[in-house]
Amino acid sequence: MIELREVSKTVMSGTEPLTILHPLSLQIPHGEFVAIVGPSGSGKSTLLGLIAGLDAPSGGSVLIDSVDITRLGEDALARLRGEKVGFVFQFFHLIPSLTAYENVAVPMEIAGAADARTRAQGLLEEVGLTGRSHHYPSQLSGGEQQRVALARALANDPPIVLADEPTGNLDSANGRHIMDLLREIHDKRGTTIVLVTHDRELAEMADARLVLRDGRVVENTLQVGDREPVSVARVEEREPLRRASPPR
Amino acid sequence: MRFVLQMAVRETRASWRRLLFFFVCIAVGVAAIVALRSVIQSVRNVFGSEARGLLAADVLIATNREWPAQARTTVDRRLAEAGSTERTETIETPTMVRPTDKSKAIAKMAELRAVQSGYPLYGSVILQGTDTYSYSLLHNHGTLVRPELLTALGVQVGDQITIGQAAFTIRGLIAMEPGRRVGGFSLGPRVMIDYADLASTGLLSFGSRADRRLHARVPDDRIDDLVRTLRDDFKDDFINTRSYRSTEDQIGRDFDRAENYLSLVGLIIVILGGIAVSSVTRVFILQKIRSIAVLKCVGARSAQIIAVYILQVMTLGLAGSLLGVALARAVIAAIPLALGSSTSLLAQAHYGVSWSAAAQGIGIGVLVSLLFSVVPLLQVRFIKPSLLLRDETVRRRADWLAIAAIVVVSAALVALTAWQAASLRVGVVVCAGFAGLAVVLHFAGRGLVALLAPLANSRSFPLRHAVLHLSRPGNQTRVILLAVGLGAFFIVGVRSLQASLLSEFSVQVDASAPDMFLLDVQKPQVEGVRAFLRDKSHGAGEFQLIPVMRARVVGVAGRETTLESAEDVRRSGMSIGREFTITYRDHLEPNERIVEGAFWNTPSAEPEVSVELDLAARAHLHVGDTIRLDILGRTIAAKITSLRDVEWRESRNGGFVFVFRPGVLDEAPQTWVAPMKGPATPAERARFQHDLVERFPNVSVIDFHEILETIRDVMSKVTLAISVVGGLVLFSGALILIGAVAMTKFQRVYEAAVFKTLGANTRTIARMLLLEYGVLGSLAGMIGSLGAIVLTWGVSKYALEIPWRIFAGEHVAGVILTSVLVAAIGVLSSLDVLRNKPLATLRAE
Repeated sequence: MIELREVSKTVMSGTEPLTILHPLSLQIPHGEFVAIVGPSGSGKSTLLGLIAGLDAPSGGSVLIDSVDITRLGEDALARLRGEKVGFVFQFFHLIPSLTAYENVAVPMEIAGAADARTRAQGLLEEVGLTGRSHHYPSQLSGGEQQRVALARALANDPPIVLADEPTGNLDSANGRHIMDLLREIHDKRGTTIVLVTHDRELAEMADARLVLRDGRVVENTLQVGDREPVSVARVEEREPLRRASPPR
Repeated sequence: MRFVLQMAVRETRASWRRLLFFFVCIAVGVAAIVALRSVIQSVRNVFGSEARGLLAADVLIATNREWPAQARTTVDRRLAEAGSTERTETIETPTMVRPTDKSKAIAKMAELRAVQSGYPLYGSVILQGTDTYSYSLLHNHGTLVRPELLTALGVQVGDQITIGQAAFTIRGLIAMEPGRRVGGFSLGPRVMIDYADLASTGLLSFGSRADRRLHARVPDDRIDDLVRTLRDDFKDDFINTRSYRSTEDQIGRDFDRAENYLSLVGLIIVILGGIAVSSVTRVFILQKIRSIAVLKCVGARSAQIIAVYILQVMTLGLAGSLLGVALARAVIAAIPLALGSSTSLLAQAHYGVSWSAAAQGIGIGVLVSLLFSVVPLLQVRFIKPSLLLRDETVRRRADWLAIAAIVVVSAALVALTAWQAASLRVGVVVCAGFAGLAVVLHFAGRGLVALLAPLANSRSFPLRHAVLHLSRPGNQTRVILLAVGLGAFFIVGVRSLQASLLSEFSVQVDASAPDMFLLDVQKPQVEGVRAFLRDKSHGAGEFQLIPVMRARVVGVAGRETTLESAEDVRRSGMSIGREFTITYRDHLEPNERIVEGAFWNTPSAEPEVSVELDLAARAHLHVGDTIRLDILGRTIAAKITSLRDVEWRESRNGGFVFVFRPGVLDEAPQTWVAPMKGPATPAERARFQHDLVERFPNVSVIDFHEILETIRDVMSKVTLAISVVGGLVLFSGALILIGAVAMTKFQRVYEAAVFKTLGANTRTIARMLLLEYGVLGSLAGMIGSLGAIVLTWGVSKYALEIPWRIFAGEHVAGVILTSVLVAAIGVLSSLDVLRNKPLATLRAE
């Protein structure tokens, strides 16, 4: 379970404070597939970074499985990410000096897993890259790189996978492939998936939606316990969200 | 740990090429340390095992006067007490030798050694060819000589040479002999004769400079006692006792010093490499920011990541050090080839890399790599994984850990340097000097970059951007200035000093200055020599005949200083315990000036002395004090009546610390010396020496022209050695430069792509690079040159005490060559920046 209590984020823009995320509370139950949507600059990626402990909130607390991660130091956070959180980035962020296989194996090696080699090969097979394991990122296409990143996110079999615009840098066919893989991971492993996207069509693939605008939640379809889905504010969208390009 | 090891291997695999140059710098420094230490250790082993051979005895008792009868009795008694089983005596003296064949009008100064039958007690005299040394070769006026004498005199084995008044037949050529130090300064080639024949030469007249030596074989456990006892017995006499052990110790100390100081030079190159490692690590971490953030994102802790990079740095440091050892091995393997068929002690050494030198070199290489990379690596802690979500700059912060690391690294560097120099003081001084130099170079660089700042507004696009690049983020300006500037500083500084010294000698041997020196003229010969020199047919110019005696201060009764005995004088530490050459005359020389008291112009029966100002100040002597001097066994108490300022540089007629008033010493045993202007051409000079020695066989002639040649030769070797070191530093600088250019290429490639997209052609970008590196090279050259000016000023004024001269040519050439070198390396290392297609580069970004 992911729980946010009055979490906010303010940064300095020049000499002026700028609030990226206004105080926000929500719960994401285990095994949920939730999409965070909103236009550029609405605070989606910031929210994702706060959930992953990649960033520290200006106020409030983030709890993962009842552990307040805002109280953890950098090293404890790193350990928590290694065990419980897998992350997929829009720009893949593979380590260029490592092969596809090594990129996938690294989180397991950090965690000291004994069967890192077998599992890394298995994960690459799972994402359809069996024959590409010894290629460097520069030798892979964008779609392939993102699949490696996805395999890396699953390395330690984390209960949570956070994906920040995972299709944003891909053509629609590759984007669709990545989404299918995420769906499959969710369905087969029961992994909690939090997907940040500004593509409404992709967001439709999720079980629940959290819509952000200007750092505030304007829609939340998450069901927590016996609570009804919450609609914080129904705001007519004046500008439609950009859709992903159709596959070529 | 497994992760750390695996990542270190992977990172090294991926980035070793980029880091290569910096570790080649480490390799060059390590090679210098290992080669220098190994060579010195090899040579030292030869000298160490030859220590007995160098003395040719267990114990050597020597005096430069006639053996006093009482002293002989004491020596005999002490040797008997110590159970000495064998002894032999030698006498050494410099003298003139000439072919007996009168058609060969030439003479040459040689170092004569007269030996008895037992010589040498240790070591051996080795003759050239198949001959073996036997004392019988010297019987009946036989002589053995060094081969170079044959060439100098135009004689052959079997011919006769005249020494003093006697003729000797050359019976063999000395290839090697005990006691001849390699590289030691000598007045001429060795000539060996029988001790019994020495009298016939007539060279041992009163006051001649002969060194009488008694070589004794003594049981090993009695040596130290004997030396101590004899030193005590002869503490007030001109008799010196030493054992092979003290020689061994002295040689050991000399070699230790040489080894340690030379290793420091190697260490400086390694430290230069270390500075490069520090700089490259900083840039490397900047390039690795995203990868580090990714590692943190997937669970790696800062300590693990730092460990990965430390392991990588140490692996490359180790590889660089091993390469250094291999380089040293290659260099050392070439030494026997370079020495060829030389028969000197140097050629006897077995050259190889010693384990201790290799271990030290590797240890230093790895340690320096580690020390210089730790501080920049600590920045890893400040890289946040959140920068994967949005562009963030990593702020460099100094926290307590970084400060503590800087303190520990500095202390470790001082310890490392102190270890290499075997002296904490030297370690601190060298490190402080290096830090000071780095700070000076840093500020000089900043100052010069600031001076160039107006050029950033230049109308020329390439020049404008070249200047801007010097202060761009992540620039390598400082490290290049430091490395190249230091190399230029070494080379220009050494060359200027050499030019300065050579011109100083040339001044001293100018057209009017005396260029020959006659020694050992006996009093009865003075008028004869005077007449000979005045005779125009011999070609001599101006000359002066000066009486000299040797004396030692044995007491002072003065206002400030009271010393009762010779022992008090020796212990006073006032530098008056040594032997002085004194004279008497009734006039001041042009280079002298009375500062206090009055000089005489008439003889007096009362002993009066004039003392040189500096010595008087050191020993706190004043006008009115009485000083007692032992002059050839006779003690004279003289009243100080004046203090003289002597301009030593102008002392063409010999400078004297003590000048006596005529009257008291006139009839004392004395020899005369004559500074003089010799004939002009080498042939006339050779004939002059021959004719003079023909008439006055005991008189020796020192030809300054030959001495100057020797000095030139020694200096050119020293200059070559220092230039090689400077060259190594410059070579390291060039490597650092290539590495720095390669490291910052990613930035350059991107900028070049943008410039190309905006319409700049390859030529414009090439000009930009050429100007940037040209400016950088000029700055480094100027900084090095300015440093060299300061160096030559300091060394000239304080160490060599010669007038300071600026050799503008050296400095201008230094600046031009440095800038050309840096510009060429800069542009050549950036060729692919020029070649890359812009679109590919921009896509990759």
